[in-house]
Amino acid sequence: MPRVLLIGYGNTLCGDDALGPVAIERLSKMVADAEFIACHQLSPELAERVAICDLAVFVDATCQGEPGTVRVEQLVPVAVVGSAIFTHYVNPSTVLELAKTLYGRAPQAMLVTGAGAKFHNSEGLSEKGREALDEICRIVPQLVRDFVLTT
Amino acid sequence: MPTITIDPVTRIEGHAKITLQLDEQGEVQDARFHVTQVRGFEKLCEGRPFTEMPALMARICGICPTSHLLASSKACDDIMAVRIPETAEKLRRIMNLAQIIQSHALSFFYLSSPDFLLGMDADPEERNIMGLVRKHPQMARDGIQLRQFGQRVLETLGGKRIHPGWIVPGGVSHPLQAEQRDQILAMIPEATRITRNALSWFKGQIENFRTEIRSFANFPSMFLAMANDANQFSAYTGWLRFINSNLEIVADHITGADYLNYIGESCNEDSYLKSTYFKPLGLKQGVYRVGPLARLNMCRTAGTPMADEELAEFRELERRSVWSSFYYHYARLIEILFSIERMNTLLNDPEILGKNVRAHASPNKYEGVGILEAPRGTLIHHYHIDENGLIKSANMVIASGHNNEAMNHGVLQVARQFVKGKTLHQGMLNRVEAVIRCFDPCLSCSTHAAGMMPLDIQLIAPDGEVIDRLVR
Repeated sequence: MPRVLLIGYGNTLCGDDALGPVAIERLSKMVADAEFIACHQLSPELAERVAICDLAVFVDATCQGEPGTVRVEQLVPVAVVGSAIFTHYVNPSTVLELAKTLYGRAPQAMLVTGAGAKFHNSEGLSEKGREALDEICRIVPQLVRDFVLTT
Repeated sequence: MPTITIDPVTRIEGHAKITLQLDEQGEVQDARFHVTQVRGFEKLCEGRPFTEMPALMARICGICPTSHLLASSKACDDIMAVRIPETAEKLRRIMNLAQIIQSHALSFFYLSSPDFLLGMDADPEERNIMGLVRKHPQMARDGIQLRQFGQRVLETLGGKRIHPGWIVPGGVSHPLQAEQRDQILAMIPEATRITRNALSWFKGQIENFRTEIRSFANFPSMFLAMANDANQFSAYTGWLRFINSNLEIVADHITGADYLNYIGESCNEDSYLKSTYFKPLGLKQGVYRVGPLARLNMCRTAGTPMADEELAEFRELERRSVWSSFYYHYARLIEILFSIERMNTLLNDPEILGKNVRAHASPNKYEGVGILEAPRGTLIHHYHIDENGLIKSANMVIASGHNNEAMNHGVLQVARQFVKGKTLHQGMLNRVEAVIRCFDPCLSCSTHAAGMMPLDIQLIAPDGEVIDRLVR
């Protein structure tokens, strides 16, 4: 059975930025046989856990694009200099690069981003944020099923 | 007057800039460290029930929430006038030690070791954690694993690694389970190995940084830290003590009740970070330092065998107190070792699994002060409440404020040493930033960093002409 890791990140006190952690909470009840991490932001410590999985799906919010829409992109390991300079915060591709360089292996990985509408200090998702959440929770289980079927 | 601006300062916790003012001869005349973000927690908590303060104050920062949680809970204990159960105090101590470990590991391995391993003059594209990963993967793995150890302890005890809510006014919310204790104990040997290796490696590197040691905030100053009767390292209980640069006690037995007689705070026009000073001597003369260097200068012994061995060696650096802020890095590693050893002792105490972990009480005082040693130095939370238990006013004195004037001194000293001539180069600018990293200032990084500004430094001639510029 392939090992699947779903990571949602974002600030739950900044409106739709909570999309990642909220999606992980819902997905943990929908996707079986996967590991789930909900966190404030990505950090280098995640590299070890990423290195031992076969599929890593990162779920994040974005302020770009039409609010409520969802975008899926394949990720490759690459160090992003800007994030590397700025300390403990890293982006998904850098986590993969760290996994590959430090632990010898980077899994297949995807970034699923939901476009939000409000990111100011507040709790709870906007209507568009909830639309993006529904779409993420429709897409991600399908991505996992497709991956499991083809491996 | 010509000015060089370093904005933002990289590899610190938060957003800040440095300005270097040049005179007509092109020599650095003054230097300032500016914090450019405002948080406003002291105002926004007014009117909230005091029992909410620990959870609210923990949101000040994503790196040291546990420190604020502990200081705030101690202030609330004071308002309730309770003595918390012994088991609860031991559990809180473990949390504080875990916080010190994870924060110091972040500072040493992630933020500062690229300077040590790749060189102060290395290209900034390489001189960062990814450069470290590529050239020294074992050091990077060790750093990640050590920080992970601290975070796992926080997560095991507090339920989550960032903003754990387990510490509450009166103690902790629930007792430690035997399996949780055993999980932590199982990780201690590896954490000890990593720390000892790092110490051994760092001590071997010291000779390569003689110029930095001489000029990185290397000046006589007072030091402030918690103290106790045994003169042992203390991070959770005790009183405050000031010592001078010759290790003589200047003021002692300072408690929450009278700290305002000794510690003054001054607002700055060009920074949101206050400058804190020893009140009897005033702002200019009352500069002092807090944090790992201050704590090791303050204590006679660490109180654990391996850390005591290291402390004895550390003391051989100087006959008096250790002045160079470059040695903050060294002190951090010794503190990690101490924290691991002390945590091991506390976890092996049978009382640690005790079930009585919380004292309950209503407010019995209108005022409370909580003091502890956060990773970066002494942290003070001071609250006033009304008859309904609502916060009337709050004052937080944080480590980076205590160190602010010392950081300004340090930046000026290092800029005078390294910033010369009409051409800037990365090495000189990195050293100006690196002296700030010695102090590991934490400027509250819990909010998302949207739109990072590039580093843009301009060297401007007296006639206004930009004669050199570096952008990264």
